[in-house]
Amino acid sequence: MTYFLTLLVNGISIGSVYALIAVGFVVVFKATRVLNFAHGSILLLGVVVLARLQDSIGFWLALLAGVAASAVFAALVYLIVMQRAEGAEEGTLAILTIGVDILLLTELTRQIGNDILAIDAPWGATIVEPFGLRLPLSRVVAIIVAPILLGLLGWLFERTDWGLAMRAAAADSSTASLMGVRLRNVGIAAWATAGGLAAVGGLFLASFPAAGVAPAIAISALAAIPAWVVGGFDSVPGAILGGLLIGVVSSLAAGYQADLTFLGRGIGSVAPWAVMVLVLLIRPDGLLGGRSTQRV
Amino acid sequence: MLEVRELTVGYRGALTALTDVSLTVPDDRVVAVLGSNGAGKSTLLRAISGVLDRHNGHVVSGSIRFDGNELVGRSSSEIVRAGVVQVPEGRRIFADLTVDENLRIGGHTGSARRRERQMDRIRELFPILADRRHGRAGLLSGGEQQMLAIGRALMADPKILLLDEPSLGLAPLLVEQIGDIITTINATGTSVLLIEQNASMGLEVAHDAIVLEVGRVTADGPAAELAATDEVRDRYLGMGAAAGSTVAAGVEADADDTGSGATTPTDAADRASVRRSPRPVVAEGITMRFGGVTALAGVDIDLEPGRIHALIGPNGAGKSTCINVLSGVIRPTEGTVRLGDVDLTRTRGAGFAELGIARTFQNLSLSPEATVLESILVGRHHLMRAGLFENAFRLPRSRRDDRVHRAVAERVAAEVGVHDRLHTRVRELPYGDRKRVELARAICGDPDILMLDEPVAGMTHGESQDMATAIRTAHALHGFTVLLVEHDMSFVMGLADRITVLDFGQRIAQGTPAEIQHDPTVQAAYLGHPAA
Repeated sequence: MTYFLTLLVNGISIGSVYALIAVGFVVVFKATRVLNFAHGSILLLGVVVLARLQDSIGFWLALLAGVAASAVFAALVYLIVMQRAEGAEEGTLAILTIGVDILLLTELTRQIGNDILAIDAPWGATIVEPFGLRLPLSRVVAIIVAPILLGLLGWLFERTDWGLAMRAAAADSSTASLMGVRLRNVGIAAWATAGGLAAVGGLFLASFPAAGVAPAIAISALAAIPAWVVGGFDSVPGAILGGLLIGVVSSLAAGYQADLTFLGRGIGSVAPWAVMVLVLLIRPDGLLGGRSTQRV
Repeated sequence: MLEVRELTVGYRGALTALTDVSLTVPDDRVVAVLGSNGAGKSTLLRAISGVLDRHNGHVVSGSIRFDGNELVGRSSSEIVRAGVVQVPEGRRIFADLTVDENLRIGGHTGSARRRERQMDRIRELFPILADRRHGRAGLLSGGEQQMLAIGRALMADPKILLLDEPSLGLAPLLVEQIGDIITTINATGTSVLLIEQNASMGLEVAHDAIVLEVGRVTADGPAAELAATDEVRDRYLGMGAAAGSTVAAGVEADADDTGSGATTPTDAADRASVRRSPRPVVAEGITMRFGGVTALAGVDIDLEPGRIHALIGPNGAGKSTCINVLSGVIRPTEGTVRLGDVDLTRTRGAGFAELGIARTFQNLSLSPEATVLESILVGRHHLMRAGLFENAFRLPRSRRDDRVHRAVAERVAAEVGVHDRLHTRVRELPYGDRKRVELARAICGDPDILMLDEPVAGMTHGESQDMATAIRTAHALHGFTVLLVEHDMSFVMGLADRITVLDFGQRIAQGTPAEIQHDPTVQAAYLGHPAA
């Protein structure tokens, strides 16, 4: 039972990290109709900056710089690449982001080389034992930080004029622009928000029990894609729910791997995609996705 | 003061939507722009609001000045901040946001103080928006949504309000109310540029008006003077006695010419090859749900062969869904549709053409570069016998095909009244003519059952009359079953043999035009007020 609960809490923790990343996909998609496949490498950029700077300026300032680097880079991708291709089809824009992803990932891989850059976070490799469960402290921090950030985002969306403009632009961008909403600013804000959240997510992906920052972090961030799709492409609550679902399922699948050998080895890493396929078979629009619009 | 000078606007693909359009909206005045769909009215507003590029359009030449400042080349958000605010066609409220949030969006270019002030003003003007402030905007009725759309634009405290078709899809009583609202808004010092299909409302509230036809200004002047001209009375107000008669005469003459043609050998053989015995279409208990929305709830309809049937109802009543089910575009959630003993819910795509069912769509689907004759000939395509090889080398069968089908196409063109434009390109035609070309294309396929989805949507009164004549003539000559979907009640009254009325997805009445006209349920639900 304890083993199960440990896996469950671990899953919720990693799931809330996926949620942070998946929400970025949704926010960018809703505001600018771009499927941003450069999200993983933008995330990696943030943690690389953090790892490189932490020795000289300390962890917290370096974290700030990492978040800023991801946010600014994402905003620049929007301004320089996406704005120029405005009016192109969604597929074209998505392929452009894949191009950006490859360029950035190649450069970061070159920077990292063969090393694994350690993250020297205050929670280090501490293990805590709340309620008799053995958990890395980093997982506990993630389980607290992610809801705070997501709650803050929700508050911004629901309660501020900025959030209202974002929601209006997401619902109907041409009408929003007729009301004087500056769509470019909405786009910049959305991409920067997504980039910043991704960097925080990256921090937890690279923290103990992971070894540190390696190019593979960008790949493990891809597990947020099923979370995004499962939730429905355009739903923030859906992405959070999807993140938690994917996190818990992959944690349980990895934990009980020995009992699941009939499914083959390494089921933990395929579990997110299996969940995605299953959910889409039953609900083609995702758990909370908007139904494809039909005139009735 | 808004001044548009010699404005020419093109869309990508070199389609010119406006040519040398000039107009002036002085301070404190209401100016109406009349014209049918496709005349360029929406393009004009897009150009003024700076959103052409979102529709792949651009200003080719000319200028748009507001209080002396050039607006061409400025972004839509700057134009809003300059005091020029648009209420878009179809209201386009943010359905998932609350009423108050919709209003806040409209006021987001200004300070919090201005927003409070405008909010109070708007709640006074539209008390319903105060009552429903925390409700979702999508749950408002059509008329309330229009008020919200106007209120949202007023939040920016505009100097000039651009209104795009505010009366579209509203019941007559509400149209009147919208007219009063425009007058009230104007009285507080806001000038208004009003785009209206409902010409009588437009001319009543406006001081001045212009008439747009195929992207050009064909008339302008004080609204009262324009309303008195024969041309406007005829085409837009439906008061001229001559409406439609020219076309009718033309068709009758041509029908006489070709009347004997129906028995010539080629023609008879041609028609025999596709003629089937008439069968009724019977739909029973059709129910259609989209997600949580029930668009149709257990509707029964039967189409007797050879009659003209009309399906009417207010916007959102389920008419389009119904024709989509009957023509096999979508499959109903429940219920059956039968043609004789064939189950139509199990028939797909091309099967419908083989069964002799043809339809037109609410929005035109014609290639703008094709000529009228070419467009109509497309409808004959499935009847052509010659293959690619024969066509490529113009072998005898290909030439015979050509001759026969051209003759049929020309005859049908005469029936619907576009015979004098056979070699004109579709893009040069006014909207009403294009709709008739589409009708001709459907007739040309020699259907047993012809389904027409809103054949006169967006037409001026004169164009509607021409269309009615065209449908009546074609029906008399071919004897096919016709199903018309319309929300214009007066249009179907003189045309249909039987009428089915839908409201909120349910059949509320069925009968002859006279029965429908006197049905109290219909009057309440459809006309918006009892006893018209």
